[in-house]
Amino acid sequence: MLRKSFTTLFIALFFMVTFSASASDEVNVYSYRQPFLVEPLFTQFTEQTGIKVNVVFAKKGMAERLAREGKYSPADILLTTDISRLIELRDKDLVQAVNSSVLRSSIPKQYQAQDNTWFALTTRVRNIYSAKRLGKIDLNYEYLADEKYKGRICTRSGKHPYNVALVASMISEHGEAYTLDWLKKVKNNLARKPQGSDRGQVQAIHQKLCDISLGNSYYFGKMLKDEKQKIWADEVYINFPNQNNRGAHINISGIAMAKYAPNVENAQALMEFLVSKPAQALYAQTNMEYPVREDVAVSKLVASWGGYKADDLPLEDIAKNRTTALKLIDQAQFDL
Amino acid sequence: MIALYNSRSWKLSSYIIALVLIVPVLVMLVGGVSASTQLYAHLWQTVLPSYLENTLLLAFWVVLLALFFGVFSAAIITQTNIVFKQQLRWLLLLPLAMPAYLVAYLYTDLFDYAGPVQRALRAWFGWQSPTDYWFFDIRTLPGAALMLALVLFPYIYMLTRGAFEQQDQNLIRASRLLGLTAKQSFFKVALPLARPAIAVSASLVLMETLADFATVQYFSVNTLTTAIYDTWLGYGDLGAANALASILMLLVLFVVLAEQRSRAGLRHQSARPNLTRELIQLSFGQQFIASVFCWALVILGFLLPITLLIIMAVQYSDVAQLSVLLSTGINSLKVSVFAATIAVIIALSLGLYQRLHNDKFRQIPQLISGFGYAVPGTVLAMAMLSTLGPLDHWLNGVVEFIGFTAPGLILSGSLFAVVFALVVRFSAIANGTIASGIKQIPRSLDYAPASLGVNLIGSLTKVHLPILTPAILVAWLLVFVEAMKELPAVLLLRPFNFETLSSQIYQLISDEMLEQGALGAILIVLFGLLPIVLLNNSKEKV
Amino acid sequence: MTALLTTQSPIKPIALLTIEQLSITLQEKVVLSTLDLSLDEGDILGLVGASGCGKTTLLNAIAGFSKPTKGKVIIDGHLLSSNGLSGGEYSVPAEQRQVGMIFQDYALFPHLTVKENIAFGLGKLGRAEQLEQIGHLLTLLKLNEYRDSYIHQLSGGQQQRVAIARALAPKPKLLLLDEPFSNIDARLRNELMVEIRQLLKQFKMTAIFVTHNKDEVFTFADKMAVMAQGKLLQLDAPNIVCQQPNSYQVADFLQLGSWLPCQVNSANVHSLLGDFDIANSGDKQTGLAYLLVKPSKLQLNSLVDKQNIANAQVEYISVTEQGYHYYLSSLDGLAKDKSLAFSKLSLYSDIALSFKQKVAVSIKPHDFLFFNKNN
Repeated sequence: MLRKSFTTLFIALFFMVTFSASASDEVNVYSYRQPFLVEPLFTQFTEQTGIKVNVVFAKKGMAERLAREGKYSPADILLTTDISRLIELRDKDLVQAVNSSVLRSSIPKQYQAQDNTWFALTTRVRNIYSAKRLGKIDLNYEYLADEKYKGRICTRSGKHPYNVALVASMISEHGEAYTLDWLKKVKNNLARKPQGSDRGQVQAIHQKLCDISLGNSYYFGKMLKDEKQKIWADEVYINFPNQNNRGAHINISGIAMAKYAPNVENAQALMEFLVSKPAQALYAQTNMEYPVREDVAVSKLVASWGGYKADDLPLEDIAKNRTTALKLIDQAQFDL
Repeated sequence: MIALYNSRSWKLSSYIIALVLIVPVLVMLVGGVSASTQLYAHLWQTVLPSYLENTLLLAFWVVLLALFFGVFSAAIITQTNIVFKQQLRWLLLLPLAMPAYLVAYLYTDLFDYAGPVQRALRAWFGWQSPTDYWFFDIRTLPGAALMLALVLFPYIYMLTRGAFEQQDQNLIRASRLLGLTAKQSFFKVALPLARPAIAVSASLVLMETLADFATVQYFSVNTLTTAIYDTWLGYGDLGAANALASILMLLVLFVVLAEQRSRAGLRHQSARPNLTRELIQLSFGQQFIASVFCWALVILGFLLPITLLIIMAVQYSDVAQLSVLLSTGINSLKVSVFAATIAVIIALSLGLYQRLHNDKFRQIPQLISGFGYAVPGTVLAMAMLSTLGPLDHWLNGVVEFIGFTAPGLILSGSLFAVVFALVVRFSAIANGTIASGIKQIPRSLDYAPASLGVNLIGSLTKVHLPILTPAILVAWLLVFVEAMKELPAVLLLRPFNFETLSSQIYQLISDEMLEQGALGAILIVLFGLLPIVLLNNSKEKV
Repeated sequence: MTALLTTQSPIKPIALLTIEQLSITLQEKVVLSTLDLSLDEGDILGLVGASGCGKTTLLNAIAGFSKPTKGKVIIDGHLLSSNGLSGGEYSVPAEQRQVGMIFQDYALFPHLTVKENIAFGLGKLGRAEQLEQIGHLLTLLKLNEYRDSYIHQLSGGQQQRVAIARALAPKPKLLLLDEPFSNIDARLRNELMVEIRQLLKQFKMTAIFVTHNKDEVFTFADKMAVMAQGKLLQLDAPNIVCQQPNSYQVADFLQLGSWLPCQVNSANVHSLLGDFDIANSGDKQTGLAYLLVKPSKLQLNSLVDKQNIANAQVEYISVTEQGYHYYLSSLDGLAKDKSLAFSKLSLYSDIALSFKQKVAVSIKPHDFLFFNKNN
């Protein structure tokens, strides 16, 4: 009977091993970014280096998965769409420093960690979209609390990382009490319960459900390029808020190397590739994002929106206030 | 009742299987118990009460609507002379093949402000803006409840119809002779007698509702599932998330137990399902109303959504999509086939153990192996990582200690985790189907082979398994389809470069771009139709 | 047809149930064909026949569950079903017929208690009346201590009582019983039948009772009807049916005796058990006919000698309480005419015979009953 059990165990193990594929010249990516956004980049990388890129994509739970997996995790690289995630990964000791002069020199100081644990790849603005029918208006984030916008604002869930980061920056600027009050007032001004995506809000403006919405910059460019969504985008102006004071809220998409990365060299090669000029140009052209490299131009379309003043709040501060921001959003019952 | 067999290895393996299936649930419970209470206070003061209220309201409305749809359609089909009865009889099952999140998306598209319906209305009446008229908002709690009920009611319809059809016709006759009309007899006899079937199916619907994640999220209806997500992924507090998930699971278990308690002792089977039943003759008006009711369910739950999907597919499909579809389709198939096969083997083994072994607690393994069904997919995925992660570490440690290179995360980082999660989640379905199949085998057949000098293996392979073939087929297909549709567990546990049809469609939906995945969605629905067609053709009453 | 005289004569005006020319065809199979039947108030009719002869369909037609293809059903002067005879189709729904039924498996409602089962048909009565009626029936059927039990908690006999109480509660004009005793333990059966018969008589209930056991008819019924292939063969008092079966089928189905083939001439009869005179017998048939030989009419002459020439031999022996039971067959050598050979003549006797023993038997003179197999 003992022998039988062993046979069973071996068969079971064999069964499991066949499930997990493994090859040597590869790099494994846990991504919060949509596959179709990064796949062209990965394809180029593989063409140049012969290193295969494996991706798991999920909007949620990647960091938690990494934490569970611990030192046997196959992940080499983590791609995020939000600064708070990156900082969280570092705070939980899930990433390692990458000592690369290429990375250090290519990326502006404020967009990389002092300790080399994370690096931004692109930056994006949290814009305020407004209906063209309102004419050109001057908008600050603070103004969204104004009573004159009652029933005229649309947004996605308050707990979406993009909005949480914005709220965190508000906390840094004005403190908790002001921010909570602001959240409650904005909530009061909402035309409908927070729902959908940033694009969906522009659609809602097009449908005249509301006049003003929050949205990331690159969505505007993408909608203008989409046959169906162009009609929506044509209805709105993209506004860079707070230009006469601290500047528009900035977030980044970034990258970090997993603490137990099995393919350190390949991982570093991929990171360096992603900040290289051609890759950054690709980001700019296809994704309508602001490349983190100052020597790579934004796309023509993005350039046409004009320059803007960015909030120079250190990104680490935004991450620091993340949990407080979440709690305030709950307290304001923003999503209910 | 004397059980026949006393094999120790069978006993051991049965308990091990059951234990393996219950471990993730236990891990979750233990994790929940040890959670810190700080976050609760915050959640309780801010959002949790309204999440809880939403959860209960959603469950209430879905069950109520599904009961209304399911019981009435079953009654109309079995008790009246409605026209096109033979067609409606199986058409009413079709919505089961539609994932709720798909229907939700399609109807939002249809009834949104920019959708064709409101556009047409505006053009017709000359309205300019949303303030000019009132139109129902589908992205609300009642909307979500309606969507879920539209695709879940066939559970109730299927089981209730079966109950009506298998009722002893003499009971109705007795009632008629005691002076009650056909209609009165239905309400006083047939309906009360179908109560166990209705209760079982309603609890199925309830569990599916509580486990739903994609539909409520798409409609931004915040439920307990939202709270679990927030606590885990937002606040990064797995312990608190486990605790919330445990509450949700206990809620479900409570319902299941209450339901079982309520029908204990109310077992009645028909000796003589009669085909020449007395039908309620509908008047012209009634005939019209009944037909509209049934056809509306078929159209809204299946025909309209599939038509919308086909239109999308025709407009947006291209060759590039086909190749993606092929690979994701194969992935879906692979996972579902593994899950269905394993779940059925486990169900057979535990079901026959319960029937044939003389262990005093022989029903225990089967009972506890079904608990996973009460755990929503997200929670299960979480529990799976908490369970398999440490196990992987231990395994790697052992292998390294022996002196080999560590194999990596062979459990939590591979398809194994996905398949395991699906098996844990859907074992209850296979268990239920196979257990009822086993129940229909007369006791004497357990004893006959032994009396003819045939041993246990012979008895199983020559008697029980052949008799159970239809039940095995049904169980396999039900798990297969559920696995094809299952979303959260797959989303969170996938290995590298692994997309399934459902995960791909979900992502497209969350970017409001289902058009690109219409073909895949149709494929899911078509696979979902398989068991329905087979069930309908087989003589087996399910 | 001659034996149907009693039912065909329209002299009695107070027939409670009248069935005229009832035919029912189900899926192109004739189940009942032009059946006539009438039953007086207070009579209990025992309906016997082989399975598939149409007994149950007849009950269903009376109860309103089967629609006649042709014919009429009238109860207490009210037309309940008619089709074809004079005018079109007409049918009163089952619930308005005031016909009660007791099913073979009782069809008691498992979701209701004994009390609720009995109350089921009393919806139209006031609360007080209901309670009184239920209490009365519970007492009458000795069910008082089970009033709040569910059906599955009762024994077969108790369930039977509940079924009867339930059926009697709304005071139907006619009670139909479909093999009501077949599920009852043989030892209890007779006692229960007697009790229920008394009860029905007490209620002056008219009833039709279907069975395939003629002994039940003797215990339970006032009249006996024999059906075969959708037709009513004979209806009369049970003893008359047994003494004077009107056809070969009736006698054969009721197993009234064994059959002895005979050659009938105008005045005498030739058989392998000897010739006998039928000059003073009423019915005259000629040609090959079968004599109904009741065991009591068979004389065994165990000593075979010159006077008692062996004419049969023992083929089968069994022991009964009354003595031995033998099957006799004719001796091969004796039969010049093969059509007169017999093989299964029943004989009861105290005398022990051995297998294949040759014996001499003879028929005691009595009112001989000859039948033609085909009529």
